[in-house]
Amino acid sequence: MESLIEEAKKCQEDAIKEIESASSSSRLMEIRNIYLSKKGRLSSLLSELRNVEAKDKGRVGAILNKAREAVQNAFLAREKQLKEEEMKKELEKETIDISLPGRNFTPGTINPFYLIRDEICDIFASMGFRIVEGNDIESERYNFELLNMPHDHPARDMQDTFYLTNGLLLRTQTSAAQAHTLEEDLSKGPLRIVSPGKCYRRDDDDMTHSHQFGQVEGLVVGKGVSMADLKGTLALFVKKMFGEKRKIRLRSSYFPFTEPSVEVDVSCAKCGGKGCNMCKGTGWIEILGAGEVHPNVLKMGGYDPKEVSGFAFGVGIERVAMLRYGIDDIRRFYQNDIRFLASFHQED
Amino acid sequence: MKVSYKWLAEYVDLKGITPEEVANLLTFAGVEVESITPLAQGTNLVIGQIVSCLPHPDSDHLHVLKVDEGEKYGVVQIVCGAPNAREGLKVIVARPGAVLPEITIKPSKIRGVESNGMCCSLLELGVDKKYLEEKQIAGIEELDSSAKVGDEDVLSYLQLDDVTLDLKLLANRPDLNAMIHVAEEVATLTHRALKLPVFEEIKGEAPEIKPAIATEKCSRFALAEVSDVHVLPSPLYLKRRLMACGVRSINNVVDIGNYAMLLTGQPFNMYDKDKLEGNTLVAEDDIEGSWTAMDEKEYRLEKGDICIASNHACMCLGGIMTSLTCTVTEKSKNIVVESALFDGASIRHTSSRLGLASESSSRFVKGLGESQEEALSCALSLLKELTSPSKVSSLAFAGKVKSPKKVIQTSLEYMNNRLGTSFSEEEVIRTLNSESFLTEKRGDSLFVTVPSSRIDVEGEADISEEVIRLLGYENVPEREMVLPGNGGYSEEQKRERAIRRMLRHLGVNEVLTYSLLPLKEENTYSALLKGKHYQILNPLTEDRLIYRHSLLPSLLSVLSYNASRQKNDLAVFEISEVAVEGRSEKHLGIALSGEENIISMLERRPYDFFTMKGYLEGILSLLGIKNNRVRYERLGTEESELHPGRSVKIYLGKELIAIMGELHPLEKKKREVKNAIVMELNLSSLLNVKGSQNKASIPARFPFTRRDLALICKEEVSFQKLKEEALHASSYIKDVFIFDVYHGEAVEKGKKSLALAFFLQDENKTLKEEEINEAMTKVMHALETKFAAEVRK
Repeated sequence: MESLIEEAKKCQEDAIKEIESASSSSRLMEIRNIYLSKKGRLSSLLSELRNVEAKDKGRVGAILNKAREAVQNAFLAREKQLKEEEMKKELEKETIDISLPGRNFTPGTINPFYLIRDEICDIFASMGFRIVEGNDIESERYNFELLNMPHDHPARDMQDTFYLTNGLLLRTQTSAAQAHTLEEDLSKGPLRIVSPGKCYRRDDDDMTHSHQFGQVEGLVVGKGVSMADLKGTLALFVKKMFGEKRKIRLRSSYFPFTEPSVEVDVSCAKCGGKGCNMCKGTGWIEILGAGEVHPNVLKMGGYDPKEVSGFAFGVGIERVAMLRYGIDDIRRFYQNDIRFLASFHQED
Repeated sequence: MKVSYKWLAEYVDLKGITPEEVANLLTFAGVEVESITPLAQGTNLVIGQIVSCLPHPDSDHLHVLKVDEGEKYGVVQIVCGAPNAREGLKVIVARPGAVLPEITIKPSKIRGVESNGMCCSLLELGVDKKYLEEKQIAGIEELDSSAKVGDEDVLSYLQLDDVTLDLKLLANRPDLNAMIHVAEEVATLTHRALKLPVFEEIKGEAPEIKPAIATEKCSRFALAEVSDVHVLPSPLYLKRRLMACGVRSINNVVDIGNYAMLLTGQPFNMYDKDKLEGNTLVAEDDIEGSWTAMDEKEYRLEKGDICIASNHACMCLGGIMTSLTCTVTEKSKNIVVESALFDGASIRHTSSRLGLASESSSRFVKGLGESQEEALSCALSLLKELTSPSKVSSLAFAGKVKSPKKVIQTSLEYMNNRLGTSFSEEEVIRTLNSESFLTEKRGDSLFVTVPSSRIDVEGEADISEEVIRLLGYENVPEREMVLPGNGGYSEEQKRERAIRRMLRHLGVNEVLTYSLLPLKEENTYSALLKGKHYQILNPLTEDRLIYRHSLLPSLLSVLSYNASRQKNDLAVFEISEVAVEGRSEKHLGIALSGEENIISMLERRPYDFFTMKGYLEGILSLLGIKNNRVRYERLGTEESELHPGRSVKIYLGKELIAIMGELHPLEKKKREVKNAIVMELNLSSLLNVKGSQNKASIPARFPFTRRDLALICKEEVSFQKLKEEALHASSYIKDVFIFDVYHGEAVEKGKKSLALAFFLQDENKTLKEEEINEAMTKVMHALETKFAAEVRK
């Protein structure tokens, strides 16, 4: 009997020693099998209990059970410990280099031409203007005649216009959309449109000239529409486009399709009007051409100039973009060098 | 138009007004002054006389001068390199401290000899080379012996104390090509008195040569004769005025022609009378053949060109240039001066056809008034005064009498309504009168008489412009416009914007390219838009000759431009108009090359056909167009630029809406791009297609079952067809996926092995095993019979 107790103690000591030195879960399971399984050493000691005298059975049994319990607890504790260690190792193994770049969802770039074109159209759309798109290929009638440039008008010189066959040409200004809109609007009622588009002139390409360029044309027609409406509308546009503090001033000018005609200057955003290199010291930057629609243009479009009047304006897209973004050369818009475009990601 | 400020000041009282102030007033009134340039510049100048001129001890070309600078400064030593420096010569001296256009003068030692100033040439004072003779450029200016030593107002002595205002005239103001009209404009703007020169008509014998008109293109023709002229250099004041107006002096006769033209705006023509054959000069337009102009070049005249002819021989190409045969030279004795009004459009036509233009032709093209007689009187007075002729004839005239002045009826109300202003009647009338628009009030109307030089003023809108131009746009208030009607973007425009945004979010860059292409692109990428291209009749370069029918050549240029700058991986798109004769469309073009950057250099994937197809599917989905409405058809060899096995035509219903594919290997080489995939899509038709509306679909309550099949079929059988057939074979089949395509040893040549997954489902019940088997049997049967597919069981 005493030897049984001795053996149980020994077995408990051995088991706990082994459990504590087990270095992995699998080794721990092996140890568990040796001591705690049905055929394990502690179980076989328990089966020897039947050889113990009845009066001692209770005491010895309790000792054996205690030993088993102790081993069991040691096992559980070690198992928990090992699992934690292993998880830790596993996590360490899975550690990543957080400095690597993310998966690429960067949006593509956008040519600044479109940023400005869209922004101009958005501003006028918010002011209730409809957006009307014209075509690059126009007839002389819409590009010239209906805009008060009859056959012998100097502006129709071959020098400036790319001609195609059959009296067609590449439009030299988006004002061609004016003539279309006036003619196609059968209601002859009030009109408010802007028309973005490409224009073409027989210019050699250099830093400031391009044989192709973009314009946004605007046209308002209605009863009693005056120069004051023109000035108010364009002042509002300029504030939205260039900032609340910007002012405009009008200078007398000439376009065949408007009378009076003006150049619109905006106060320089860089120096606030004091004069700097951007505005060539004048404090003002020329930004668009405008004027009251010529009565002949209204008449040819089927409107009665005695009943209605209107104003029109045209903004050069590249020019605004060059001012806004500090672009030095108009040819950059058409080169699409991705290193240049990379500066323009902003969403509209 | 270049304007001499001093000349201007002779006609307008400009005391106390600076050229800058005048320029500013003109600019706001629509006459932009581009620059203000002094004829010459220099401070600390004085007139000196060389009293001794010795060679420099240490130089073979320098002189050591003693220059008498008058009482105030005394005799000063100056080292000078000019070859014409000599004792007794009166010279311009720039004293120490003088600021000249290029240099500032300081006392210095030149090779050891002290020098206190510089003797100058006019070039050093900033006078343009073109006005100087060779000796004036090579050496110092030699002043007249009458020059006063010690005079410090040197520029004034030289009559170089003037500035040039360079006016950038707009097309509506050709009248301002004349000093008299510039003076009127400036007088109005400055509210100063105007005093214009008056030229009396010459009363003499009638000229021997008579003017005649034989073409409608000449409406007025005046001439006169001047006998025994003395061709000499012009007086200094005339030379200087011409210089300030940008014209080089030749001799008094030629200079008078130019001077009178600058003054009156009207071009003149002068003939050597002794070289003319007949007794008449006829304006006609039916002379043809070879002709030599005074520039000694030969030109080919055609019927329709305006000629001034003597005995049917062209003596002057009307309004453009005189014939070499009768040009006035230094030997000319007797001259004919002519002043005419020609049709500007006709002159423009002739001038551009021959590539021959002159100051005169440009004036006719811009437009002239009916003041030929007055102009001619001006030229004759000057000839009489400056060429000491024996005789000046009276003026002979042919053509229309002057048209009456235009009178325009308008009203104060009209003006204020148009301008949005509240000017008073008194203000308006005073303003118009000051600009020689005589205005009379009758009832509520104003009757405005237009000066004959203002050919641009035609109606009451023009009168309102005149008023606001002179009173200033600061008088126009800013009014917030209230007009009825709704604006904003159309549905199509919104969809286009959404497509652009989506493509950019997918990493595709939105680019902008030129619409004009070289001729060699005329037949490339033409499968989507077929037809005859538009060609520019007057191109600037061969590279920009045709209007594009496809966006792809331009997009491929963008790829190769960037590839040659070490950017090989790039995706670009553009939306733009394209056209062929009679048809214009809006297209979307996309071009991809190289690899898609997934994680920088770590994870990359070459762009391929399926990247592009994915973009298309995305666009269609965005527009609510279901995939089953779209049909793909092999493009084959139809587009030689594309890989025949990797390109498609895409139809929506019966309409071809897009082409897509990988570039043909030869095309890749030609375009200098790595792998390139392109797509071009007809956006005009696509944006008009009605997409299906958003509608909630309720998720099915019953589970689906997946069944896989492997089958072998011919290479050309497309997955799309198999799928359509399967969907058709049983209503339980809801979708078909492909998860493997295999070509290899186990599969016969010309065939492929496909692994398909079928998804079966019923909205109302869970499918039973027998129902599933029955459906799959139908599918297998259909595929076997329809495509001779062999199902591997």
